Amino acid sequence: MSTVLIVTEIQNGSLREACYEVASLAQQIAAATGGSVKSLVMGQGVAALADEFSKKGGGDVFLAEGDALANHNAEAESKAIVAAVEASGADLVLIPSTPSGWDTAPRAAAALDAGFVSECFDITAEGGSITYKRRVFNGKLEATISASCDKVVASVQTGATTPFEGSSEGSVRKLDVSIGDLGTKFVEVKQAESKGVDLSKADVIVSGGRGVGTPEKFLEVIQPLADALGGAMGASRPVVDAGWLPHEYQVGSSGQVVQPKLYIACGISGAIQHLVGMKTSNYIIAINKDPDAPIFEVANLGVVADLLEIVPALTEALTAAKG
Amino acid sequence: MKIMVCLKQVPHQDARLDINADGTWIQEDNIKFEINSYDTYALEEALRTKDAGEADVFVVSIGPDRVGQALRTALGMGADRAIHVNDDEANGSDSLGLAKILAAVAKQENPDLIFMGLMSDDDNSAAVAPMLAQLLDIPHTTAAVKVERSNGTVTCDREIEGGAHEVVELTAPCLIAVQTGLNQVRYASLKGIMAAKKKPFDVKSVADLGLSGQVGTGAAKVKIDRIAPPLKGDTAEILSGSTAEVVAGLVSKIKELGLL
Ligand SMILES: Cc1cc2nc3c(=O)[nH]c(=O)nc-3n(C[C@H](O)[C@H](O)[C@H](O)COP(=O)(O)OP(=O)(O)OC[C@H]3O[C@@H](n4cnc5c(N)ncnc54)[C@H](O)[C@@H]3O)c2cc1C
Repeated sequence: MSTVLIVTEIQNGSLREACYEVASLAQQIAAATGGSVKSLVMGQGVAALADEFSKKGGGDVFLAEGDALANHNAEAESKAIVAAVEASGADLVLIPSTPSGWDTAPRAAAALDAGFVSECFDITAEGGSITYKRRVFNGKLEATISASCDKVVASVQTGATTPFEGSSEGSVRKLDVSIGDLGTKFVEVKQAESKGVDLSKADVIVSGGRGVGTPEKFLEVIQPLADALGGAMGASRPVVDAGWLPHEYQVGSSGQVVQPKLYIACGISGAIQHLVGMKTSNYIIAINKDPDAPIFEVANLGVVADLLEIVPALTEALTAAKG
Repeated sequence: MKIMVCLKQVPHQDARLDINADGTWIQEDNIKFEINSYDTYALEEALRTKDAGEADVFVVSIGPDRVGQALRTALGMGADRAIHVNDDEANGSDSLGLAKILAAVAKQENPDLIFMGLMSDDDNSAAVAPMLAQLLDIPHTTAAVKVERSNGTVTCDREIEGGAHEVVELTAPCLIAVQTGLNQVRYASLKGIMAAKKKPFDVKSVADLGLSGQVGTGAAKVKIDRIAPPLKGDTAEILSGSTAEVVAGLVSKIKELGLL
């Protein structure tokens, strides 16, 4: 019997979609173990959201309010989670793996002396035991994990589960959290600066990854293919981190999210943070020398070969075909 | 000021990932290792403070003999001394076990700042840094892309979604887990590598840290039962053949999409 505590997150005045994704896992686990679902809503002036969530999958909601919880603060949130676990008797805490979630969840796990499983894409309860699944090695391998302790905190990959759409019954209870002095102070959120390169308008994007090898090759190999297709050039994060291209070329969770008619990924392995930026493209071609690269799971068409051979030959053929 | 940098040695990003005999991790014999990419940025950030004449930097790593190489590289890049927790008893530790070991080192050393990477390139858990901060009861932040210090506080930009940044102010002592791209990482110079040979290099056991029986496989709360290539759902149709044949296939698809 599991008491599952959902730790919710509020963004721009509403509950993030990820809360409902976590709710579907929590409801499944509770049903399979004959347990129950409870939730924690943290913030300032968020009682209405607590009420809403209790009816939409959250069950009994603990409402923790205070100035320190008005914005993301890992120290304060961790204290609220500990208080909610004590009040609910939860043995499994689920939290969306967002930038706030990954900052807070391991801290709360340590405060609870609990086991921690990071960024699960699936959690299943069967025959009394719970199994956690997550990707390791940047998506190249999949690990199945089990816990042997009385409390577990698990963060849940966003977008991996279908959001809960059913209803639930529950009450809202105020939770007193003694936050005390904090060494962490939220200052502000700075929105992304406007982009010099707007990839969202391009019909075709040719992106290069670490596999392109050198900054020169972006100009000699990737850009000419983009030009031949009248498209734009994009890149994965390591390319930007290394200073080969400026940040405005970056596609992915911390770059731009694009949806062109055609996305060509060259020398990109297909880590989840890259995929979330391009997987809804209309058509995806991947060129990678590793047949097991996860990029082939989202691509429509793939070529397993050296991009330095294929891409220039393709550029030449396209130029010739245009006449 | 004293800065602690936690480093993990991980399989090289281009290493072959074969599964080991009991199916719980990759085959680590005969592959190349390197310092975790995120941690190189953490070390660089600490070394910049040292270069400004404001800090001594020590590096800590947990793992078998091979990890000595990562620590020597860090010394070659400019760190002042290294602590290697090298003990079979640490094997099989989960994130919390590793955080306990690092916390014990930090309690012996009392650093003003701890820098580490947001996550490791192999396990990808991003767990040890916030856990370590909690065990030491100090503030922390993760995914830092900008770090500025002034009298007892550290102001960081942490990367959130879509290129937005969240600004946080931490009271020292504090822990900062950095995101890649924070700075441009230096290489170890030949002179640095020579100088590194004379730098203090301590090896510690789990018992030295007062943690016998509290870390390692036996104490791990979570463990990997199985590791495998992901189940392939719908994968791409693969074009094979000579370069000319593959290119012809690509061109005809691009035509079909109406993009030529
Ligand atoms: C919080 C966070 C946010 C992130 N945000 C982003 C983001 O916005 N965008 C992003 O891209 N990443 C992001 N990342 C990083 C991400 O996890 C991966 O590290 C990154 O996407 C890997 O880039 P890559 O595929 O270019 O490199 P790698 O994973 O190193 O892959 C290189 C690929 O090139 C192939 N290759 C090598 N040589 C050749 C050749 N000659 N021909 C053909 N193929 C070749 C290899 O087989 C390999 O598959 C983020 C990570 C974190 C933790």
